[in-house]
Amino acid sequence: MTSPPPRPNRPVYLDNQATTRCDPRVVTAMLPWFTEHYGNPHSVEHVMGTEAEAVVEDARAQVAALVGADAKELVFTSGATESNNIAIKGAARFAGNERRRIVTVATEHKCVLESVADLAEEGFEPVFLPVRPDGLLDPNVLRAALEVPTLLVSVMAVNNEIGVVQDIAALAAIAKQAGALFHTDIAQAAGKIPLDLTGWKVDLASISGHKIYGPKGVGALYVRRRPRVRLKPLFSGGGQERGLRSGTLPAPLIVGLSEACRLAQAEMAEEATRLTGLRDRLLDRLRATIPDIAVNGSMAVRIPGNLNLTFPAATATDLMARVPDLCVSTGSACSSATIEPSYVLRALGLSDDTAARTLRIGIGRFTSPADIDYAAAALAAAHAGAPAPGVERFAQA
Amino acid sequence: MPRMTFIERDGTRRDVDAPLGLSVLEIAHQHGVDIEGACEGSLACSTCHVIVDPAWFRKLAEPTEDEEDMLDLAFGLTETSRLGCQIVITEALDGLVVKLPAGTRNMLNE
Repeated sequence: MTSPPPRPNRPVYLDNQATTRCDPRVVTAMLPWFTEHYGNPHSVEHVMGTEAEAVVEDARAQVAALVGADAKELVFTSGATESNNIAIKGAARFAGNERRRIVTVATEHKCVLESVADLAEEGFEPVFLPVRPDGLLDPNVLRAALEVPTLLVSVMAVNNEIGVVQDIAALAAIAKQAGALFHTDIAQAAGKIPLDLTGWKVDLASISGHKIYGPKGVGALYVRRRPRVRLKPLFSGGGQERGLRSGTLPAPLIVGLSEACRLAQAEMAEEATRLTGLRDRLLDRLRATIPDIAVNGSMAVRIPGNLNLTFPAATATDLMARVPDLCVSTGSACSSATIEPSYVLRALGLSDDTAARTLRIGIGRFTSPADIDYAAAALAAAHAGAPAPGVERFAQA
Repeated sequence: MPRMTFIERDGTRRDVDAPLGLSVLEIAHQHGVDIEGACEGSLACSTCHVIVDPAWFRKLAEPTEDEEDMLDLAFGLTETSRLGCQIVITEALDGLVVKLPAGTRNMLNE
């Protein structure tokens, strides 16, 4: 039996699609905006307010630059869940015209699926499209769905469980041709792959801070200005953010999001190369000891940091119990409160039994080669049936 | 002379003369139609927001960015909303129909 590697000093974190470590450079940029420059960015009558307003507007330009948008097209929110809710419900409720169909994809994030489903109560017609076994949406399936006049299409750029990259430019073009609005959740794509929202003619896009080494609790929504896309806001209040999102802007978090975007843009190419190397190293090592391991989702169009692996002979729950020092997941964190198999894996055509033997692995900026070597050795040993090292030690004592 | 119709908040239709070159806001004021126009047509408020009949909406000149920015702040915005001060009567607009929205927001009073 393969013996487990020595325990690491601290947990090895390979769950970077759930969240990322806040980059220390981001924290440094944020700190003065908590303690020294704490003015309300909407208090424009005094210098403390106007300096906060100025830094928020600089941040808007920085976030816009990362996604290929104009600064005026970005609205700050609490994160991608809120952005997705405002985009989908806001667009539907504003339009409220003869077009009632809202089209999305079975593998979307829960908050998109639930937002679309909730609109059924308001008389809209939700449509959930299937994906191909490689996780990608077939453009012809979208075209067929749009034969019925459609209000909004929502397709995520990068999937949070299997990391596959949809062809947003092509899908947006199909939606526009059919006269529908096009929304994309770019929470897992921003900072990882180049984005050009203006060029791709996207109408709405949702951004998250904590998926790109920024703070939790902040995000943004891109709302196209030319031609103007209009939304009915979810919040009543002071009319901040062009009336789309009332509430005082959290200047320190917005500075963090901005710095995270700046770093992601500057380091994207280099980071992609490095993460691809780490991912291939992990997969090669696992395949050497577990030849029948299977990768779910296209390997050809995939972000560098994601692996979604089905193991031949052990359940994900057992593997995780045997390697308590390794932070990986069975599906998206947002769904892991339930014990149901991942709906994303089901949509790829995996059986419940196969889905139960599947782990999501997310490699990130702070993953080291040593982390990868530990993960490969620990998973190989766990798959061969080695008990958790802590349990072993306890038994010897 | 061209004519135009205002549909007031209670549904009353007001058919009025619409002199060439005047804006919908100016015509409303001439005839005592209840549109505020707090900034007097300087694109600093959205109080002259009107809802254009969909059949007429396509015939209007495209709104400017500044008008769109003000419309963003209007109450009860619809897909055929415009600012009355920015619609200038031409021969092509003879017969124009606009509806008054349920309410307005005067930023100048806030």
